[in-house]
This record gives sequence, structure tokens and C-alpha cells, in this order.
Amino acid sequence: MAKNLHTDNAPDISTVKPHFLFAAIGFLVLAILMVLSNPYFFGTYYNHHSLAVTHTAVLGWLMMLIFGSLYQLIPVIFDTALYSEKLAKFTFWITAFSIVFLVYTFWVGDYVVLLPYAATSMYLSLFFFIFNIMMSYKNARIKNFKSLFILAAVFWLLMTETEGLLIALNFKYNFYQASHLYHLHTHAIMGLVGFFIMMIFGVGITLIPMFLISHHLNEKLLKYAFYLLNTGLAGLVLSKYLYDKQLLIILFWVLIIGGIIVYFRYIYESYKRRMKKTLDVGMKYTMLSLVFLLLPIALSLTMIFVPQLGMQAYAETIILLFGLSMIFGFFTTIALGQTYKTLPFIIWLEKYQKLVGKFHTPLPRELYSEKVAGIQFYFYMSFLILAFLAIILSLKWLMQLATILFLIVSILYNYNVWKMFFHDSEKYVNKRDKEILNN
Amino acid sequence: MAKKDLQEIRKIENDIYELLKTVMDPEIELDIINLGLVYNILYDGEKDVRIEMTLSTPACPLGDAITDNVKNTIKKKYPDYDVDVDLVFDPPWDASMISEEGKIKLGM
Repeated sequence: MAKNLHTDNAPDISTVKPHFLFAAIGFLVLAILMVLSNPYFFGTYYNHHSLAVTHTAVLGWLMMLIFGSLYQLIPVIFDTALYSEKLAKFTFWITAFSIVFLVYTFWVGDYVVLLPYAATSMYLSLFFFIFNIMMSYKNARIKNFKSLFILAAVFWLLMTETEGLLIALNFKYNFYQASHLYHLHTHAIMGLVGFFIMMIFGVGITLIPMFLISHHLNEKLLKYAFYLLNTGLAGLVLSKYLYDKQLLIILFWVLIIGGIIVYFRYIYESYKRRMKKTLDVGMKYTMLSLVFLLLPIALSLTMIFVPQLGMQAYAETIILLFGLSMIFGFFTTIALGQTYKTLPFIIWLEKYQKLVGKFHTPLPRELYSEKVAGIQFYFYMSFLILAFLAIILSLKWLMQLATILFLIVSILYNYNVWKMFFHDSEKYVNKRDKEILNN
Repeated sequence: MAKKDLQEIRKIENDIYELLKTVMDPEIELDIINLGLVYNILYDGEKDVRIEMTLSTPACPLGDAITDNVKNTIKKKYPDYDVDVDLVFDPPWDASMISEEGKIKLGM
């Protein structure tokens, strides 16, 4: 008998599925909000419409996708079952409610009455998620740098949310001495670098070599990447509060960038040693997203040296480009790619695990339309290029065109996600059997 | 069931070997024989079949699906046999175990 397989610990699909569905709808809502809020892209980046769009992207789309993927991957990364599937299901509903509440609050710009409640609700829902992951880690049979990345990401999520809640409460109770913007920067950096980059790197360490099928990689690199990233980030956050000197900020950014470069080295090694020479659409997105990460790195350096470069007039444009390159260039690109790598397998296991060997079954990639995924890829690349040009050249009509392309991307993506969810295995098996009989 | 002679045992083992060429690794999209995942096929001459095999990575989330596929594929042709799949990770699998035919199929 096959024993100790990670699939023994796999969560029930009903725990994972809703997250992917919510994320797909979140992605569509994000596209609609982007089309509607086009004029606000050129104002300050912290206006309430931009905040609604940003939080739809990071929470409604990316974070939900990460939650779903992580619940599925806990058995692989920690070699244990998720601590509580009931808690995960409860967390989904409270998180879904909180995201809708928070985005609505930002969209209508109600910072004083609604925001404290929306932020508190969000904080609670994330706390349940963090608790579930921490308790799973307690039972983990694998405790190495791969799992430490996940743990660190969860810690930074807690920090991000704590800062987010304090900013929200400050609108009502006004206890912060520094401006909101100052705290907003820390909130954004902890969220983007601490949670999203750390989590994506952590999951990527397991998934990328697994999908590329590469072995014997230098795992010491992961250790260096982990320390560099976390020391840099902790230093950056602490220096913001305690000793805000430019030299220190530069030093800590250099550590963070060093960590990212070391991580790249690990992935590059995996890419060079890969057995699968041809990359499918999912891996194309994934590898490209890592190349795109170079852009926010370059922009973060530019942000630090804005005064020296005499670019104060462009400071907001640079920050906007940084956000765009991070959220869309890196996070969304990798999220789109990994959906095509993980969701087909999750659905395939649900629909075909009991049928394999008894009937002809499709391959996981046959559950979605590769043609649609390919078209979606080119629309997405066009969106990225146009959105960047629109911001650099400050052209509203070009941004409108870019957001319409983005809307098309979200429709194509939803088409494929729903196609997978509604895949009828019985119909497929009957059709194939008839074809075989006729031949 | 009467015990078969050695020649017949080898014949059935070879038949199972050919059957397992229809079992695909759904991610790599190559059959498990050409991938080199199957280490041993043992038939006792009566009704017990034991397959000693590995996975491309111990963390493979498709492990159960692959081992179920092995069992179902054999039982489809030999419904009276008891099929056991032993997963072993020593020696660990690596790309050098892929057959020449498999390497061509994967474009290596």
C-alpha cells in the first residue's frame, strides 16, 4: 500500500474551492473598478478610489488566491494536515464579508464611521487565518527554510494588518503624531514585501522546482535569501519608527534587494536544471513574473534617491509605477500563471482520482482552454505595457484603453476558471468511450 | 489458483510492464515506465502483484492518483489479482532514470 503520501493530508476540496472562485470574481470586480476609476490614476495614489482598487487587488484577488493555494499546499510544505478545515471555512466567509465591507468603505470614502469597523472585521478574519497556519506549523513534520518563509510571511501579515487597523482607528481617534501617509508606506511595504513576496517565494521554493522538475538545488541560497529579506525588512520598519535616516533606509533596501537576488539565483538554478524544457502557459507567466520583479526593484532604488536625482516632481509617478509593477507586473502575473498550474490539478483530482485506470481520463491541462489562456497572456502583456506608458506619459485615454484590455483579461480568466469548475467528468468519460467504441 | 511456471510469470510481468506504459504522470505528461518511476514488478505466480515504484518528488500531490491508476490499470486486465503498490524513495528518482524514448518525448 502507498503510505505517508501527502495527498492523505490534503484538505477537502470544499475548503479550497471557494477561495479560487472568490478570487476569480475579485479579479473581475478589480477590472471593473479600474475601468470606472480611470481618472483617479493620475491624482494622488492614496485617494479613496485608488485605495479601493488596491485593496480589491491585494485582498479580494491575490490574498484569497494565496489562502486557497496555501490550504492545499500545507500538507506538501509542512507534511501535516491543515490544523482545522472548519476554521478555514469559517475564515473564508468572514474574510469575504470583510473584503467587500472594506472595499466598499474605501470606494465611498467613509473613513470615520465605517472604516474602523471594516478594518476591525478584516483584522479578525486574518487573525483566524494566521492562527490556523501557526497551529498547522506546530504539527509540521517538515521544519526547514521552505516552511520558515511561510511562517515569516504570516508574521508580516499580522504586522501589516496591525498597522492597517491602527491607521483606520486613527482616522477616528487621531492618536498618531506622524501623517497617515507615513504609516501607509510602512503598511504597504510590510504587506507587499513581508507578506506577498515572502509568501510567494515560500510557496515558489516548493512549487517551481516541482513543476520544472529540477533536483539537487543549492538550498543554502534559501537560507541567505531568508535572512537578507527579513533582516532588511525588520530594519526598514524599525528605522522608520525609531531612527528615520536615509542611509539606514538605503542599507536595509540593499539587504532586501540582495535577498531577492539570491532567491533569483535559486530559481535560475532550478530553471537551468529543469527537465521540462518546454514551458506551458502557467510556467511562462511564472518565469516572466520573476523577470518583472526587477522593475519594482529598480523603482524602489529610484524612490530612495528621488531628492538626489532632483526628481521630486515625479515622486508620485514613481510610487504609482512601483505599485503597478509590484501588484500587476509581479503578483498578478504569477497569480495568473499559478492558477493554471494548481487549479486544474485540484479539480482533476476531485473529478478523476477515482476514475483513473478505469476509463480514459483527460490531462489536467485539458480541463481549461489553452487557446483562451494563450490569448489572455497576450492581452495581459499588452495591458502591462500600455498601463506603464500611460502613467509615464500621463495619457488618460491610453490608461482607459489599458484598463479595457485588463477587463478582457479578467473575462477570459473567469471563462477558464468557470470552465474548470463546471467540467462534467461523467459527460467526458461517456463521450470518450463512445469515440473509442466507434473507432 | 494454481501456481504458474517461471516462463508464464515472466510473461505476465512483461505484460504488466507494457500495461504500465499507459499510466501517465499527469504533470510531466509521460508514462511512468519511460519516466523510470517503476523500480520493480513482482508477480508471485498466483494472484499477488507487487509494484515497487517511486514518485518524481516525495511531495508530489498527485501521488495517490498515480498509484490508484497503477492498481486500476492492472486490475482492469487481471480483475482477480491483488495489486499492491509500494512507494519507495531510496534511491531517489532523478532525471537520469528517464529512458532514451522518454527523453526524446520530453524534448531533453
